[in-house]
Amino acid sequence: MRLFTGVIAILFLGLTLLPVGAMVWQTFASGTIASHFDELFLSAQAWKLLRHTILLATLVTLLTTLVGVPLGILMGKTDLPLRPLFVFLFLVPLLLPPYIVAVAWNDLLIMAGFGSGTLSGLGGSLFVLFCVYLSVPTLMTILFLRTVPPSLEEAGRLCAPWPSVLRYVTLPMILPGILLSAMIVFLLSLGELSVPIYLHYEVYAVESFTQFTAFYRFDTATATALPLILVALVMTMAENRFLKKRTATFRHFAGSDTFLRISLGFKRYPLFLAAAFLASVVTILPMTALALEAGDFHHLAEAFLASHDALLRSLLYAAAGATLLTFFGFLLGYTLLKRPFRCAGALDPVAIFLFTLPGTVVAIAMIFFWNRPFAQIVYATPLIVLLGYLAKYSALTGRISLARLSMIPASMEEAAQMAGADWSQRLRHILLPLTADAIAGAWVVAYLFILRDVDLTILLYPPGEDTLPVRIFTMMANGSPELVASLCLIMATVTLLPAAAAWGVFVRKRRRK
Amino acid sequence: MTMVAFENVTLRYGERVILENFSLRVKKRERLVIFGPSGSGKTTILRMVAGFVAPERGTVSIADRPVSADGRILVPPEKRGVGMVFQDLALWPHMSVEENVGFGLMVRKVPKMERKRRVEEILELVGLKGFGSQNPSDLSGGEQQRVALARALILEPDVLLMDEPLSSLDRPLAEHLAHEIVRLQKRVGFTLLYVTHLEEEAAIIGTRRLTIRKHTSSSQTSRPEIF
Amino acid sequence: MKKRDLIIGLIILVVAFLIYWNTAEEPEISRPVVVVYVSEDRVFSEPILKAFEKETGIEVRAVYDTEEAKSTGVMNRLIAEKRNPQADVYWANEPIRAEVLKQKGISTPYVSKNAKEIPALFKDPDGYWTGFSARARVLVVHDGIREKPDSILAYTDRKWKNRSVIANPLFGTTTAHIAALFEVWGEDRADAFMRAMKRNGVALSTSNGESADLVASGRYAFSLVDSDDAINRIRQGRPVSMVYPDQAPGGLGCFIVPNAAVLIKGAPHPQEARKLIDYLLSKETERRLAFADCAQIPLHPGVAMPKELKPIDAIRVMEVDYAGVAKKLIEIQPLLKRWVME
Repeated sequence: MRLFTGVIAILFLGLTLLPVGAMVWQTFASGTIASHFDELFLSAQAWKLLRHTILLATLVTLLTTLVGVPLGILMGKTDLPLRPLFVFLFLVPLLLPPYIVAVAWNDLLIMAGFGSGTLSGLGGSLFVLFCVYLSVPTLMTILFLRTVPPSLEEAGRLCAPWPSVLRYVTLPMILPGILLSAMIVFLLSLGELSVPIYLHYEVYAVESFTQFTAFYRFDTATATALPLILVALVMTMAENRFLKKRTATFRHFAGSDTFLRISLGFKRYPLFLAAAFLASVVTILPMTALALEAGDFHHLAEAFLASHDALLRSLLYAAAGATLLTFFGFLLGYTLLKRPFRCAGALDPVAIFLFTLPGTVVAIAMIFFWNRPFAQIVYATPLIVLLGYLAKYSALTGRISLARLSMIPASMEEAAQMAGADWSQRLRHILLPLTADAIAGAWVVAYLFILRDVDLTILLYPPGEDTLPVRIFTMMANGSPELVASLCLIMATVTLLPAAAAWGVFVRKRRRK
Repeated sequence: MTMVAFENVTLRYGERVILENFSLRVKKRERLVIFGPSGSGKTTILRMVAGFVAPERGTVSIADRPVSADGRILVPPEKRGVGMVFQDLALWPHMSVEENVGFGLMVRKVPKMERKRRVEEILELVGLKGFGSQNPSDLSGGEQQRVALARALILEPDVLLMDEPLSSLDRPLAEHLAHEIVRLQKRVGFTLLYVTHLEEEAAIIGTRRLTIRKHTSSSQTSRPEIF
Repeated sequence: MKKRDLIIGLIILVVAFLIYWNTAEEPEISRPVVVVYVSEDRVFSEPILKAFEKETGIEVRAVYDTEEAKSTGVMNRLIAEKRNPQADVYWANEPIRAEVLKQKGISTPYVSKNAKEIPALFKDPDGYWTGFSARARVLVVHDGIREKPDSILAYTDRKWKNRSVIANPLFGTTTAHIAALFEVWGEDRADAFMRAMKRNGVALSTSNGESADLVASGRYAFSLVDSDDAINRIRQGRPVSMVYPDQAPGGLGCFIVPNAAVLIKGAPHPQEARKLIDYLLSKETERRLAFADCAQIPLHPGVAMPKELKPIDAIRVMEVDYAGVAKKLIEIQPLLKRWVME
């Protein structure tokens, strides 16, 4: 076990952290940072961009948290009708490449008679990213509500009405979860590129791109990305220090029978309307706009014919990537839980750190590292894309596995050990079957995140082998709006149908329990 | 013959001293009750015998063979010939009773037919004949306890470790099962190390009692067999 | 247990099927291949590359990029891959990038036989890049305007105070255009022009396309845009017309932005690469790009083109050294940033 997990850990670090580290080191070694220090860190432009970036990320975080947490309580704690449907509707924008939401709302505003520039700048980016990330605090709230022991709430209910219990008992209990979700939203909007580009809001991530556009200087661009790397590092450390212990593992997880639900009574009518309104803004209206813009079936068929190869590759990359990520994620989670060797705990901050890095930075590091004659088998094939996904998204599958594994009593595995099962047998017969739900869940999450990825894929895909989100992105320049809308619609369909199916299974299973 | 031996064993978790210079000898076929308040390190002793924890200093031996010493596990748990019933029973929810009990035989690649026969045999021994295809979660607390016992016994261990296995059962049932455990031990002949914090259980089970007070000091009292 | 096995089995089956589907299309015998990185909009470049594939049987593997979205994946890649090139050909949508590649030692010279008739102005003297199918930087003017402006100096004319708009000069062809002014006029005059433009209340838009829309909607009187932006609006029936600026004898001339074909140094498929470049530089490609929605101006004489276009020899073009423009473009970056922020 020690040997195997050690090999996996070294493999993981070598494939992911090493390229990024090599790139950063090279930037330092080349002296670019010293020679451009003023330009990078002291110029008015740099400060403005940093301000923009942090402003946007902060506003998105605040807004999504302020709306998402009450929404999560409404969805996760009350008897509001059609809750699973609502939660799914809120989840939709997160599953799509973010720029599709921007395109859809843009189409909608133009249809409604507003000018093409109505949705732009800080306001536009904030609005779109709000729609995209709203479901993060919502889902996290729903999840963490289930970890509150019901007896604590019952004790509160004996002397206070629900609002007070929520305020003084429940919310403080799930605060770590809320903070974690806020951090995730902050980091995701910090590295988000396609939306600010599309809506013309200058942020740091865009700047590290224009460093290429204007100067074509690699080291400068890496150096420009350095503040983002630093922010990512600080965040990772903060998470590890303050949140991880209380969020990465679950002690208690309520099933339906022990879970306390608030009965809304008459208040459910206005609340239902409010939720329906929000769902329209976030999902129904923009998706309808896409459908209208796409026009008739003819356009759709044409778009499908023109892009079915990219669609197929998207699904293939996502399936292969998700499998790779699930494999590594499970072993990472296991290693983090068991700590079979010293420094095993360091794997978690590494994975989180890579997750927080903008996709562009990861992609460029991958190119630098892998584009060598002896590594053609990696670089000239889709393997390079998969390695990019591995670096960027292993925190997702790792943390999901860790959370699930930590819910299994150690005695389960020890009993198998007493029965004479060696490590691989215990893994195969005990741990894998017991965590199968989480493994499937991790696979689906990884699949969806890869399916929506643009930043990494656009830099890493082998010539002629692009994915659908990348193709749409490159078609947006001067492509006909009908075609772009049709492609977006196809993308939405192939993402959402399986997601909806998975959601349906998940909800029904929970009901049955 | 000495079956389990601790020699000058010391174990600390950080500042907390669990055991210090602790020595113990358990004879073959003996039933030792380890008795004491919760948090006194009773479970730790079992886990050291099982091989999940290594003593910081000192040696643990089973059948005169050192199995762990001075911070190192010399023989891994699966090779010690020790069975264990966990406090939470640790029945695998994704396996039937049969699969739970037969797991140890399966990983040892015992042929299916023989496996089936031996599982049936041991289920009969613990009074669960015909329960094989059921799911553990459908059984009562007492029945689950017997499944755990059967699973621990099927590999015919020389030493059986039991960590408060009856703590979640009501008093009359617990006492009934305690008697059964004694009967079984007499029939099969394993050495039993039994952890509990209940006087009644200790009285029924033990041929000898080891009382642990908080932290370091330990006293051994020999008690005559009750029956 | 059974159900789970079924699901796992299904997943494996689906993945296997996808892999099979994805690889089944690969031909048995290895076809000749050319790898091309493209900065010209995919909508326009892809049909050309498909036609090449069909005519020559050489498989084209392309990496597309989009300038409009300011993403620069392709240039990033070319530079990052310098040590171990993957691309054979780079199809740039303006010569500045081609110049940068030359300066960075990423491209290598190739003089195509098809490039003979292309004017020397639009070619690198050493053959590191060759221009074809160009956009012109033109004024798009609202039809409601009687006296149409005919020079970019209209931006500084009090008559048009607060009535003009220009795309953000930090990006795209606008950057190149301003860098060209610095190259032709010299630092002082160009800087003064920029300041005067600002004083005259020029509005900033996010892209040339948006500028054209703003003019078409009547918000502003005119804007400097790419010829394809203007022609698109005209074809849509919007109330705008297109003016080639500074055409008077002795005038500055109209800034031309040709596409550029570049051979990559150390290209893995040099033979096929040369064939593709020949194809891009052919009259046929120029004709197709002229009749496509991008309506690009052919640089070969005697190529058919739609009626909205003027032949290149009928336009008074700005005589400018593109290598100089590329250098200037980097130099004036801080100045432009300041200009935008003020």
